[in-house]
Amino acid sequence: MSKPLKLAVVGHTNVGKTSLLRTLTRDASFGEVSHRPSTTRHVEGARLSVDGEPLLELYDTPGLEDAIALLDHLERMERPGERLDGPARTARFLESSEARQRFEQEAKVLRQLLASDAGLYVIDAREPVLAKYKDELAVLAGCGKPLLPVLNFVAQPGHGEAQWREALARLGLHALVRFDSVAPPIDGERRLYESLALLLEQSRAKLQRLIDDHEAQAAARLSEGYRLIAELLVDVAACRRSVAGQPKLERSAIRELHDAVRAREQRCVEALLRLFGFRLEDAAAADLPLLNGRWGDDLFNPETLKQLGVKIGGGMAAGAAAGAGVDLMVGGITLGAAALLGAIAGGGAQTARHYGNRLLGKLKGERELTVDDAVLRLLALRQRQLLAALASRGHAAMEAIRLDAPDDNTWREGKLPDALQRCRAHPQWSSLNPGARLEQAERQQQLAELLINLQRN
Amino acid sequence: MTATPNPTLSTLDRFWLTEAVRLREEHAGPLEDDEANRQARAQGGELPELIEYRALWLARRDGLLIGLQHWRQGARLAGLALALLAVFTGAGLAWTALGDGARPVNVFWALGSLLGLNLLTLLGWLLGFVLVGDSGGALGRLWLWLSEKLARDARAVQLAPALLAVLDQRRLGRWLLGLGVHGLWLLMMCSALLTLLALLATRRYGFVWETTILGEGTFVGLTQALGALPSLFGFGTPDIEQIRASGTLTNDFDSARQSWAGWLVGVVLIYGLLPRLLLMVFCLWRWRCGRSSLRLDLDLPAYRLLRERLQPPSERLGISDAAPQRLHAPSAGAQLNGSEGAVLVAIELEPNRPWPPRLPKSVADAGVLDDREQRRRLLDQLTRFPPQRLAIACDPRRSPDRGTLALIGELSRCAASTRVWLLQAPAGQALDSRRLQDWHQALDGLGLAHSSSAPMSWLESGHD
Repeated sequence: MSKPLKLAVVGHTNVGKTSLLRTLTRDASFGEVSHRPSTTRHVEGARLSVDGEPLLELYDTPGLEDAIALLDHLERMERPGERLDGPARTARFLESSEARQRFEQEAKVLRQLLASDAGLYVIDAREPVLAKYKDELAVLAGCGKPLLPVLNFVAQPGHGEAQWREALARLGLHALVRFDSVAPPIDGERRLYESLALLLEQSRAKLQRLIDDHEAQAAARLSEGYRLIAELLVDVAACRRSVAGQPKLERSAIRELHDAVRAREQRCVEALLRLFGFRLEDAAAADLPLLNGRWGDDLFNPETLKQLGVKIGGGMAAGAAAGAGVDLMVGGITLGAAALLGAIAGGGAQTARHYGNRLLGKLKGERELTVDDAVLRLLALRQRQLLAALASRGHAAMEAIRLDAPDDNTWREGKLPDALQRCRAHPQWSSLNPGARLEQAERQQQLAELLINLQRN
Repeated sequence: MTATPNPTLSTLDRFWLTEAVRLREEHAGPLEDDEANRQARAQGGELPELIEYRALWLARRDGLLIGLQHWRQGARLAGLALALLAVFTGAGLAWTALGDGARPVNVFWALGSLLGLNLLTLLGWLLGFVLVGDSGGALGRLWLWLSEKLARDARAVQLAPALLAVLDQRRLGRWLLGLGVHGLWLLMMCSALLTLLALLATRRYGFVWETTILGEGTFVGLTQALGALPSLFGFGTPDIEQIRASGTLTNDFDSARQSWAGWLVGVVLIYGLLPRLLLMVFCLWRWRCGRSSLRLDLDLPAYRLLRERLQPPSERLGISDAAPQRLHAPSAGAQLNGSEGAVLVAIELEPNRPWPPRLPKSVADAGVLDDREQRRRLLDQLTRFPPQRLAIACDPRRSPDRGTLALIGELSRCAASTRVWLLQAPAGQALDSRRLQDWHQALDGLGLAHSSSAPMSWLESGHD
């Protein structure tokens, strides 16, 4: 196992060095980030590994703040008649007393850069190209290590990328990377490491491995995110409450259902945040517009009947349901018996018992409460929105994501995926119902189908 | 509790326990696993090995391992009981097929009772295998349900579902179940065959066939067709005369006795025992193949999370160069001797910002300071001719870094009194209020007066 590549993240104070580290390490609580200058005053490292093998070490350094004076000082280090090259001069400076006093912070940076294979020079692209930045680059160049300029905050308006490019080219730095640590571009990491590989040819294999692993992980995270959303939708679609037909009980059942669905959505949000390595306070969902729930007559929906082993074609299903309704009104005995027989023939005593219980409830005047279609659509949209936001969010972002209900009414229209329709008929598939059976193969099948549906559009 | 897991566990057992731990964590929340993770990380290796190591460590700690041993013991006992049952059933089959020798044996009745059930179940198994992709699913579920009802130990409750899940992975369940079923039938047929041989060896049986509506030809054909395959293996078949003779009422059994016995044994061996043997070997082969290709499904959400803990993709290395007790602080001052005049200077403005503003005649413009030479020149000049009043214009969109503050301090030491002018944002842009706050703090720290309005009248006259 070879030694990992070491990178020092350097730059002026307050340009987002720690932010860049947070985003690259996917660690939202690395170091300390604030609007104040000289927030980071120490050197702190982080290691990136693939399959347990450390590939890259990144070191966060204090910001350079007094480069103009330091450059002056460095130039005075040469004794008369002496010509020192950059590293020699830097080494002499590090031994001097000023390196422990006025230029202590700068000395830390230089020491770390000397110990590293290369430096990432972070630039706040919103800043004009000032002389002090050029002097910083001159000071850093004195370490004799390759420097890769990283333009931060390029996703915000009013940045001076063109001026920076030109100024850096004049200083002989032609390779540079745009990388906004708050909203990193999708291929940002790849570009960063590929540019590094140009500077550090001998580490190309390591960097390529890192790129591949990170992209595989990103894809896996995304599909895992979709799976979490599919689980949420199945749980909510199959959720069902039986209520006696009294207004007061109904109201409390609706409230209870509302709370359960809210809590379930929150669980999904938290799982997504955890999956993407964000803190739990990084996203907040607005309240669900859950009005009254849906008084489901799913007892006679074709899927329920099919589940009972009664094979009915699409058109006949409606007729059968209507007939069953009539049957029910005149006593409900015939259908009950027939359905039970069918159920036993269909091979599920358990299903039959379940159906029997529901039928009994029906006869006793109980009503069944399920979650409205519109709410399912809203949940799907909102969670997908969150997933997309998380996938493109840098770990340096400080603002919480707010999940609002989409303004347009598109989510109210269209047909729900078939898989969700089927879930309606299977209360045992919802973790929100008692006696849930989450391992059932059919449930997994609906999940897989829903997953494909979610990923497709 | 030792640190290393029991090395005698088979591959299947390891997967089984790993899966059981996964299911347990899925249903009852994460286990306390710091030590297990540490041990696994110390062990090193590929991720699946680490996950397995951790799971076995937890299984050992939480008694799953003992549960598994109990389970295996139970399974072994049950298997033994089933095997005994098969042996007795086989013997019973042969016994009832041949009877006690008092009456001649009806060959086709005997054949039916020896092979009928066997062939029927075989047909069922094949149909299930071909038609219902998940053969053994129903039985598996039944077993799951049973074990759920019978599980006495809450900790071991996930063992049965875990086994099913592991077996489901490569559709191993059907092969294992097939192995069991065919093995039992094979045992039963062996026992039947041995009993048959023993009975034939020690008793005198006469063989007949009987019919009411079928003709003689049917039986001759049937007998020869059935005997064709065994005869390839050297088993005798009664010739046509013997078959005919066995169908008549006045038959002397002696002539055909041995050929019928050979025929019967051959048919039972070839159609009863051999298919089961072949299928068992086939199932065994598939089972072994499947078992050796068992892998942990690393895409499972639980393992994805574990990966983060066992092989963290990023970890902090800690602070390698600590922060100083306090930072170097620039200071301000004043030059009181022989100062006169008023000067306005700006620090680090954007190149496109219009500068200087309109100045009264008595105020000198020192331009915009950016690079070293400009700084040095101005400082030299101000030291030689210190002004009475110095106004320093700063753009509060820059951050108030130590270098800038040091410059402001140095400039202030060249003048009798100094004010800092924090410029407004250019049209269409806004200042960051927090950064402005930082400027205020930094300038207050230097002890310099500052304001955001142009200090022109102060520069001109010395008072506002």
